[in-house]
Amino acid sequence: MATVITGRDVSFTIDGESYSAQTTSATLSNEHTVETYQTLSGRVHRAIDDQWTFDVEMLADWGAASSLNEAMWSACESAPNTTLEVVLTAATGATFTFDVFPVFPSVGGTAPDAQTVTMSFVVDGVPTESFS
Amino acid sequence: MTIQADIREPLKDALSGVAANVYDHVPESVIAPFCAITYSSPMMEPNLINQAVVKVKLNFLIQAAVAMLSNPAALDNLEQLIISILGAMPSGYIVESVSAPGIISVGASDLLSASIAVSTYYQETE
Repeated sequence: MATVITGRDVSFTIDGESYSAQTTSATLSNEHTVETYQTLSGRVHRAIDDQWTFDVEMLADWGAASSLNEAMWSACESAPNTTLEVVLTAATGATFTFDVFPVFPSVGGTAPDAQTVTMSFVVDGVPTESFS
Repeated sequence: MTIQADIREPLKDALSGVAANVYDHVPESVIAPFCAITYSSPMMEPNLINQAVVKVKLNFLIQAAVAMLSNPAALDNLEQLIISILGAMPSGYIVESVSAPGIISVGASDLLSASIAVSTYYQETE
């Protein structure tokens, strides 16, 4: 039987706060930059940079007690250059820890749907993985 | 806590001001005009991450019905009932569309009825 994990296996915290109960999608992705050099002996490829991004889509919770959206807004407003630790669990036994810069959540929505918030975080450095 | 206590009962209470009998379930017998909170399909949609937290989208149909008197009077009464229900919907509900009116038979009575599709989220708590 093939191993199947789903989005329901994903959970994460930002700065110790669990965002999972409001989140519909959370994705850590990497833009891997590889330069190609044409040399006298042929083409040579070298990886020169990695830019990691953490994208979150969630149901808005403005106005709620302990609002996650309000906490993120306040963090970005008060300390935009202070990173926040994210612990992302893809499935049991696969955890990724990294730091992100806070971002202002998007605000508003389209009738009649539930208001949603999208946040795209720039990751500071490289995630640390833990596989067990 | 349950869906009945956290969702259906509060929704019924929010609609209690409309000029109709309000039920948070399908009643065994009804007195028109009425509105009844029923489910549409899918009944529940688990569409959030993290299986450790049971939080689902609930899809409801609010069935509004009025006595089938003359056609114009019944339609007018149903329109007024629907508008009053829409005005009484509490926050936290996605209010979608209203179905075309149709005649339903309950016991010996014909009723003019339409369904309002609404949805909300429920999170299981201890």
